[in-house]
Amino acid sequence: MPGIDSIFPKAGIWAALAAALLTSGCAGWMRDNMELAPTPWRRIQPAALPVTLPPAADVPVVAARMRDTGTVYKSYLAVLGNPTALPGENRLSIDVQTLPDSLLGALVQPPRIFPVPLYTSETLMAKTRKEFPDMEVKLAEVSRRNRYGDYDYVVAQNLANSCVLAWQLLTDHKRMLPERIEAVRLEYRACGMGDNVRALLAPFDGLVLTLPETVLEAEELGGA
Amino acid sequence: MTRPVLSALLLIGTAVLGSPSAVLAQAGGAQAGGAQAGAPQPGGGRALAPGVKVEVAPAPGSGSAPAAGKVDETALRYYARIGDVERMEAEIARLRALEPGWEPPKDLFAPQPATAGVDESPIWALLSAGKVAEARAAVAEQRRKSPSWQPSEKLLQELDLAEGAGRIRQASDTKRWQDVIDAAAAQPEAVACGRLDNAWRLAEAYGELKQLDRAYDTYRTIVTTCPKAKERRDTLFKASRYLGPDRLRELAALGATSNPAPGEDYSTVRAAEAELETGRLLERLGNAKPGGLSAADLSRVEGIVRDKQDADGAVALGWYFQKQKNYAEAQSWFSQANQWEPSDKAAEGLVLAYNGLGEKAQARAAAAPWKGRSSRIDQALKAVDPPRGAGGGRAVPQGPSELDRALARRDFAGCLGIISTTIARGGPTAALLQQRGWCLMELKRPSEAEAAFAEAQALAAREPAKAAAAGSRLPAGALPANGAADKPTSAQENAYGQALARLATGDMAGLTRDLPRANMTTAQKAEIRAALLATEANRALEDKRYHDVLRLLDARKELTPESRNLGILRGWALYNLMRYDDAYRQFKAIDDRLSTEESREGVSTAWKTIYHEW
Repeated sequence: MPGIDSIFPKAGIWAALAAALLTSGCAGWMRDNMELAPTPWRRIQPAALPVTLPPAADVPVVAARMRDTGTVYKSYLAVLGNPTALPGENRLSIDVQTLPDSLLGALVQPPRIFPVPLYTSETLMAKTRKEFPDMEVKLAEVSRRNRYGDYDYVVAQNLANSCVLAWQLLTDHKRMLPERIEAVRLEYRACGMGDNVRALLAPFDGLVLTLPETVLEAEELGGA
Repeated sequence: MTRPVLSALLLIGTAVLGSPSAVLAQAGGAQAGGAQAGAPQPGGGRALAPGVKVEVAPAPGSGSAPAAGKVDETALRYYARIGDVERMEAEIARLRALEPGWEPPKDLFAPQPATAGVDESPIWALLSAGKVAEARAAVAEQRRKSPSWQPSEKLLQELDLAEGAGRIRQASDTKRWQDVIDAAAAQPEAVACGRLDNAWRLAEAYGELKQLDRAYDTYRTIVTTCPKAKERRDTLFKASRYLGPDRLRELAALGATSNPAPGEDYSTVRAAEAELETGRLLERLGNAKPGGLSAADLSRVEGIVRDKQDADGAVALGWYFQKQKNYAEAQSWFSQANQWEPSDKAAEGLVLAYNGLGEKAQARAAAAPWKGRSSRIDQALKAVDPPRGAGGGRAVPQGPSELDRALARRDFAGCLGIISTTIARGGPTAALLQQRGWCLMELKRPSEAEAAFAEAQALAAREPAKAAAAGSRLPAGALPANGAADKPTSAQENAYGQALARLATGDMAGLTRDLPRANMTTAQKAEIRAALLATEANRALEDKRYHDVLRLLDARKELTPESRNLGILRGWALYNLMRYDDAYRQFKAIDDRLSTEESREGVSTAWKTIYHEW
C-alpha cells in the first residue's frame, strides 16, 4: 500500500495546506469588501483631515467627519463656514479609494462609491438644482487647474451671492498617486456674498492633500 | 418565484437595439402605419392600436408550424394534474394558436402512463417552485439514470425561459441595466405578459439608462397588450418614474382602450392617471413660487383635495398661500387639514397663518394641543411669542417684529440676515443665537446650527439669570401641554437643538453615547431616541439584519407611533424574513390608508410571492 508520502510528497502537502489557508479567508474577505454599506459618520478633529486649506483663503472648518465604506474607501468631509443666508452647507469632501493589500483583493475590486465620470450633464443638472435652488447656474466652459491638475466647476449666482461647485478625480498613478491609492475624488461646494468667483475657488485652487502616503502635484502645464 | 408561463403573447419588437431577438418593444408608427387594429398581419403580427404592433410568436423550440398530432401536451397535462386551471386554459389557448386544428385531449384529467417510463412531474414541480438549478440538475440526473430518455421539449423550453428570467432579475436587482437589456435580448420569450415583472424590469433598465423612448415603447406595448386592467394600471405607476405627464397621458389613453379583454374594468387605468396627475400638481404646489401655479391648476388641486379630503394636500395648499402672504386663505386650508386629520403639521401652519393675520390668541389656541409635544409647534410659537432678545431685545413685541414676520413666512434666509444685523447692533444673546440655530436647521446647515446652539448654551451659562428667564417665559394665556415640569428650559432647548443637528449630520454613535447624560426633557429625549432607532432600523435593513429591524422598530413603537415610511420598512423586513403573509398584511394596511408607489409595490410583491405569480 503506498504511503501518504508517496501520494502527496511533503512539498505538495505544504502547498495544499497553504492554498487551503489562503483561500479559507477568501469568502470572508469577499463579503467584507463587497458589503459596501458605509459606516456612520464619525467626528474627527479638523486637524485629522487629510487636507490643508490655504491659510490665505481664511475658510473656517465648522466640523470634520469621516467614514469607511468597505475596506477600500475612506471618505472625509469638512464642513466649511457659510457667510451667506443660502440653504446648504459649504463643504469639501474627499473620497480615497485604496488598493487592498492582498493579490486577491487587487483582483476583485468592489464597485466604486462614486460614479466615473463624476458627473454627466443630467446628474450635474440634478445636483445643481438641489444644491443651488432658485439660482442661475452656469457650467464653466474652461476648466481650472490646481496642484493636482485640471478640474471642472459650475457657478451659481443670484443678486447678492455666488456659489461654486467644483469636482476633481485623481487617477494619475504614473506621477501623482502612491501605489496603494487607486483614486481620490474631491468635491468642493462654497457659497459666498458678492460675485467674486475666483475668491470662492481659492481654497480649492490651493488645497494640499496630506494623506499618509504623499500625493505628488501634477506636472506644470506645457512642461513649464 | 418563477413558474412556467404559458402566455401565447410574445411581443416581438421589430427594432430594438438592432437585435433580432429583443422582445418587448413596439414598432414605430411607420412600421405599423396602415395597419388596422386587430387586423391580422403577415408573419403572425397584428396591430393592436395605432402605432403598436405585437407579434404572436411561438415559443422557441416549438417550431413555427408543428405537424398535426405532434403538439407537446406535457405542460398541459402537468397543469391538469396539479389543478392549475388558469395556466391550463392559457396553455390550451397557446396550443390552439400554434395548431388551429388541435383540440384538448378528452382524457386530460385521466391518469397518464409516464412517457417512456420517466415521470417528469418532480422536475416540473421544482421548476414551479422556482428551483431552476435543481430542476436542471434533476434533468441531468434522470438522463444519467436513463440515457435513452429525452426531456420533453416544453420542459427544456421552460427551463431556458426560467433561466433567462433569472438573469434579467439578477441583473436588475444589482442595477446592471445594460445586462438587463442584453439578457432580455438573449431570451426574448422571458419578457412577455405572462412574465410581466421582467417586462417592467426591462423598461426600468431603459429608463435608468435614459433611453426614454425605448422605455416608453416597452410600457406602451405592455399597456396595449397585456389584458389585465390591474397590470396596465400598475404599469402606469411604474412608468411615472421615468416618463413625463404627456407620455403618461398617452399610455393611460392606450391602456384604457386598446385590446379590451372581457370582464376587465379599464377605468382603473384612467383613475391611475388622475392619481398621478394629482400627485404632480401637489408636488408643483410645494415647489411653486408665490403665484407660480396657474388659476386653472390651482382650482383643480383645490377641487381634488376637497373631494378626497386629503389633509396633506390641504397643508400643501396652506403653505402655498402662506408663502404668498395670503394668510386668510392659508388659515382656511390649514384649518381644513386639521379638521380632516389633526396633526402638528397642520397646526404649525395654522399657528403661523393666525400669526400672519395678527390673531395671536387664536395662534396660541391652535398650538395648545401640541405644545411641548411637538418641536414643530414649539418652533412656530416662537414666531408668535419670540424669545427674549429676538427682534432687538424687546421684552414684549410691539406687533410682529421683522424677525417674527420672517419666521411667519418661513423666510429662514431672512431670519439669518435679521439676526446678524441685530447681533452687529446690540451684541449676541443666547436667545438670538438659539434662534439662529433653528433657522440654520431649516436651511439644512446642521453643522453650523449645532455650533450656534453650543454658542447659545455657552452664552446662557455666562448669563444664568437672563437665560433662565428667557427659557421659562410662557406666552400669555398659554399653559404647557405636559405640565410645567416638562416645559423645556433654554438650556434644554439648546441641548435639544444640538441633538437634532447631530442627527442631521449622521453622528448616530456619538449621539447615542451622549443622550443619557444630555440635559433634555423626557419628551425631547424620547423624540431623539425614536429618531435614532429609526435611523438604526434603516441601517439594519441595508445590512440585511432583518430581525434587528423588527427589534428596533418595536422598541421605537413603544416611544412613538410608527410613521408610514417605517411601516413600509417593517413590511420589507418581514418580507425578507419570509414572513410573507405578515408582510402582505403590513403593506396592505398601509396601502388601505393611503396608496402610494411604495405601498403598492410592497402589496404587489408580497402578493406575487405568496401566490407564486412571478
